[in-house]
This record gives sequence, C-alpha cells and structure tokens, in this order.
Amino acid sequence: MDFYKFLLSRILTFVLVVFIGITAVFFVPRFLPSDPVEAMIGQLTSKSAFMDPKAIETMRTTLNESFGLQGSLLQQYFGFFKRVLITHDFGPSLANYPAPVGELIGRALPWTMGLLLTSTIISWAIGNVVGLLAGFRKEKAYSKLLEAISIALYPIPYYIFALVLIMVFAYIVPIFPLSSTFQGDGFTWERIKSLVVGSTLPALSMILVGTGWWVISMKTLSAGIAEEDYVHFARLKGLKERKIMSRYVLPNAALPQVTMLALQLGTIFNGALVTEILFGYPGVGTLIYTGILQADYNLIMGTITISILAVAGATFVVDFLYPFLDPRVRYK
Amino acid sequence: MLRLHNVSARYNMLGSYVNAVDRVDFEVRKSEIFGIAGESGCGKSTLLKVMYDLIQYPLEISEGSVEIHAAGKDGKPVVYRHGDIHRSWWKVISYVPQGAMHVMNPVARVKSQFFDAISKYHEKKSAKQLEAEIAGYLRELELPPEVLQAFPHQLSGGMRQRVLIALATFLHPDIVLADEPTTALDVVVQRGILTMLAKVQKKMKNSMVIVSHDMGVHYQITHRMGIMYAGQMIEIGPTEQIFESPQHPYTKMLIGALPKVGDNSQKEGIPGTPPSLKNPPPGCRFAARCPVATDLCRAVEPARVAVGHEHMASCHLLEPIAAERRAHHG
Repeated sequence: MDFYKFLLSRILTFVLVVFIGITAVFFVPRFLPSDPVEAMIGQLTSKSAFMDPKAIETMRTTLNESFGLQGSLLQQYFGFFKRVLITHDFGPSLANYPAPVGELIGRALPWTMGLLLTSTIISWAIGNVVGLLAGFRKEKAYSKLLEAISIALYPIPYYIFALVLIMVFAYIVPIFPLSSTFQGDGFTWERIKSLVVGSTLPALSMILVGTGWWVISMKTLSAGIAEEDYVHFARLKGLKERKIMSRYVLPNAALPQVTMLALQLGTIFNGALVTEILFGYPGVGTLIYTGILQADYNLIMGTITISILAVAGATFVVDFLYPFLDPRVRYK
Repeated sequence: MLRLHNVSARYNMLGSYVNAVDRVDFEVRKSEIFGIAGESGCGKSTLLKVMYDLIQYPLEISEGSVEIHAAGKDGKPVVYRHGDIHRSWWKVISYVPQGAMHVMNPVARVKSQFFDAISKYHEKKSAKQLEAEIAGYLRELELPPEVLQAFPHQLSGGMRQRVLIALATFLHPDIVLADEPTTALDVVVQRGILTMLAKVQKKMKNSMVIVSHDMGVHYQITHRMGIMYAGQMIEIGPTEQIFESPQHPYTKMLIGALPKVGDNSQKEGIPGTPPSLKNPPPGCRFAARCPVATDLCRAVEPARVAVGHEHMASCHLLEPIAAERRAHHG
C-alpha cells in the first residue's frame, strides 16, 4: 500500500516538474522581441528581388502553422503540449529547414549517449574505487599517489585536456584521427572499429577529468565513514580490512555518489559542447550550439525539453532505487 | 582468567607521550564481575583496549604484560598474551562496545553483523543453521529473534545494546568486556541491561569486566572493583567493602558524592581537575586535590598496601593501618 502511495506521489512530482519545465520552455522564447517567422520571411525576401504579397501571406500562414504559432497564446500552449507529448513533434528546424527538430535530435542523441554514458559511468566507477582507497587506506603509498594524480587532473579544464590529447595522440604521435570520422553502417567490424577509434580521444578527455571529481568526493565520503563507530567495531569483530572496506565503508559512502551519478546522467543529454566541437563529434552539444547561434527556437525548445525529461526521469529512477541501497529510506 | 602484570600503556603523540595507563596490576578471576570506575580521562577505556589487545598506533604498551589463561579445544590450558589476544576474539574474550547507537552498519541487517563476527568459528555450519542457532540464543535471552531481520535503525537504543550483548556472549567466551554498557540509555533501560548482563554471567559463569563512570552500576552488579585515577588503579577490592569502607581519599570522596535516600545534604564535587598525563606530578597523583595531603604525598609516590581482606589502596596515610594489619596477621 505504501509503495503505491509512494509511486503515485513520485509520478505526480515527475509530471509537475515536466509540466513546469515545458511551460517555461514554451513561454521564454515568446517573450523574446524577435519573431522567427518574420525573421525567416525577411531573410527570404531580402534574397529575392520581388515576391508576391499573396505568396508571402501564404508562406506566413504555412510557417505559423508548422511552428505552432496559430491562434491565441492559450491555444498555442495546449497545442505545444499536444505536439510534444503525443506526437513528439517539435516542428521543423529553422536553421536546417525543413528538417524536423525531432529527427535532428534523434540523429545526434545516440552519439551523445554513447560517448557520455560510457565516459560518465567509467569515470564514476574508477573515481569511486580510487576515492575509496584514498579515503580508507590513506596511509598507503599507492592511495596517496592515485589521489595526487586525480587532484592534479581535476582542476584542468577538459577542453585544455582535450587539446593536449589531440596534440599528442593525433598530431605528434598520430594514433588517433584529428576529428572523429565514422565509416560503415550497421553492425559491421569496420563500423565498430571506427567508432572505437573515433571516440577514444573524446572519451578519454572526459573520463580523465571526470574521474578527478569523483575521486575527491568519494575520498571525503569514505574518510568520514572510516571514522564511524561501526567501522571501528567491525575491526573489533576481527574482520579483515578488505572486508571492512567492501562491506562497511563502500555501501555507506557510495549512497550520495549514486544520487550524484543519476543527476549527472540526466545532464548528459545536454551533450558536451566543447568536446564535441574540438573533436568534430556529431552530438547534441553541437546541435544546441547551432540552435543558439542561429536563433533556431524549435531546436532549442526541443533539446531543452529532452533535457528536462531526462533529468526528471533520472531523479524518478533514483527515488525508486534508493530504498534498495539504503534501508533507512523507505517508500513512504 | 585475565591477568595484567604492571601494565603501562601510552599514546605516542609525535615524540611526547600521554601515559594513559600507569603500572596497573590486577586480575579478573573466573566467573566474577569486575568493575572499573573512574572519571573521564582516567584511562578506563584505554585499559579496556589494552585488555582486549586493541593496540593500534598511537597506543602502545610500554611495560608489563597482559595474559589470558583459557582452556583450549582439547581442554589443555592455553595462554594468550598481548599481541596475540586478538586471535581469541569472540571465542575467549569479547567486547560490548560503548555507544550501541552507532556501532552497527546502518545498511546491513542485524543478522549480517552477527555473521561478520562469528561465522569464522562456524565454518562447517550453513548460514541457515547458524541463523537458527543465533535465533535460539536470542530467545534464550528473551529477545525477539525477528531482530535478526531488522536494520539497526529499526531497533531502540536499549534493544541494540541487548543485541550487542547477545553478540558478545553467543560463543560463550570466558571473558566479556563491557565499555560503558549503560551510558546514553535512560535509567529504566539501564536497569534492564544490567539485569541481562548479570543473568548472562550467572548462567555462563564467565568473567565480566564492566567499565563505567557510574558508581551505581558498580554497586548493582560488580563483585570486585578497581578505582582508576590519572592512569593508576588507586584502590581495588570487593565492591561491598569499597562502598562500605572506602580507604583512598579519592574513593571516599567519590562515594561521599553519591546521593542517598533520606540524606538531603548538599552534594559537592571534588574540586580541581586530574593532572596532565603527559607530565604527571611526582608523588601521589591525587595530592593536589586531596584535602589531607602532606608534603610526603607531594614528593613520594605511595605504594599499594593491603588495607583489608583482598582490599588494597595506594595512599601514604593508609600505611600505618597496613602495618598494623601486617603485624596482626603475622
């Protein structure tokens, strides 16, 4: 019974967050002084010497319709919800007219997901292991070394890191391509190989820098847990240090890290702008960047909506996973 | 049986030493409850660590030895000395920690905390069998076996302490050390815990050491007790005798400060604070706070003298009594 109540409350929260988010996405561009339809018509008319006013009027109606700008603000608002939630249609892109925004995002998303999901999870896993060692076995030489490396890497901006990687591994020692190119199609060996080769440098730049952050937070957490009475008592029970680390320190210290991971996973839909640009990687970050540069409202609205859904969805999932990790948290 | 031979233990604070335990010499006999009393910082907990062989940096034993005489598997006597007492943890000597609220892993069930401590002694048994045995033992102690499935936060403070006592006594160890077992519990629960400890001890006939700053606890369940002051055991004897006729001025003041039914006089604390254990003063460590101290007390350390049957104290003023006793008993 409690579980259903919990489920209902979380679903309501999720719906509310998405609703507020999408409402903001809908209204914010409408407060902007520029009108995308007029801008587009202006662009077109400035190119051709003469256009029939009637044709311009028809074009305006068509554009208004395809951008969902017909009727009163309220009608537009409901229309927007209907399009986004039911037909998953964000309208055509202005910059790449008439390609639909949904299709552009759909094309970029797998790339971003592939790169960021992998690098986020790898850096989370490495960061937690290193942080655990650094926090729990701080007197050991290897812990100190690992910690020092992570702290040295952490403050380096990832784009500088990316540039260094490009210089070293694509220019001085050309093992990897300067920019990510992908060949082949489907599930072929050639395609997999080009995916791995093309994604290694961008992934490496993100993993190395991302790991530093996880190491620092996990180190602080596990050093704190290591001083807890139940860890001291575990020693009095005669348990081996390795067991104390894996059974007592890790499960307790990892709790906040799981929350952070989920939030981080939600944000990967924003892409990694600079990495994508530096490596010529066709992800969502590049898409958002073009959208902003070219005032492509539909594209911006589309990517932001996806991002809202992703973050709210990740939080929703963590809320359900948490009671399995921490018995003190119940479905209530 | 547990024997401490003139044990000193100190904390190594980067070159300077805090002598938390200073030449403590006593034994805990078979099937008795021995109490260790004293104010905060007198070395009680350090003494317990020394007895449990929990010698970790910065703590070190600088002189003396700790010995546990126990019966081995085949009935032959075995002696464990400090340095290898930890090999007999839970089986021969076990420990009830201070602060039951925080000593259990919050994300593991009570069952698994039991298993962590004792499963290595029951390797041949299946987990199910062992669990059934633990449940049976809990029932014996009048605890609901369902607590095994619970997480620590679902139990009350008193229940957690009981569970820890059950854990410490499950393997029927010869010696159980309890560090402030009733601190941070309300008086009704305290009573329940003490009754449980006394009952377990009576049944198993093992030795128990109870460290507590609360003289009431000692009065209620210990058979013999030692009073610690500034790292030294300044008086030792049967609990009844210590409460009836305390000999050392410090013990006298401690017991004088206890409230009694019908006595409405204002109680006063002992003025002053204990000396620093880094640089203890020469002579008697209590001299600065002692109302009857002489110049001799401030200069020469008093030796421990017998002041009654099995009753000893370290005070210059008791030396005449001790001398008389010696003359009397030949």
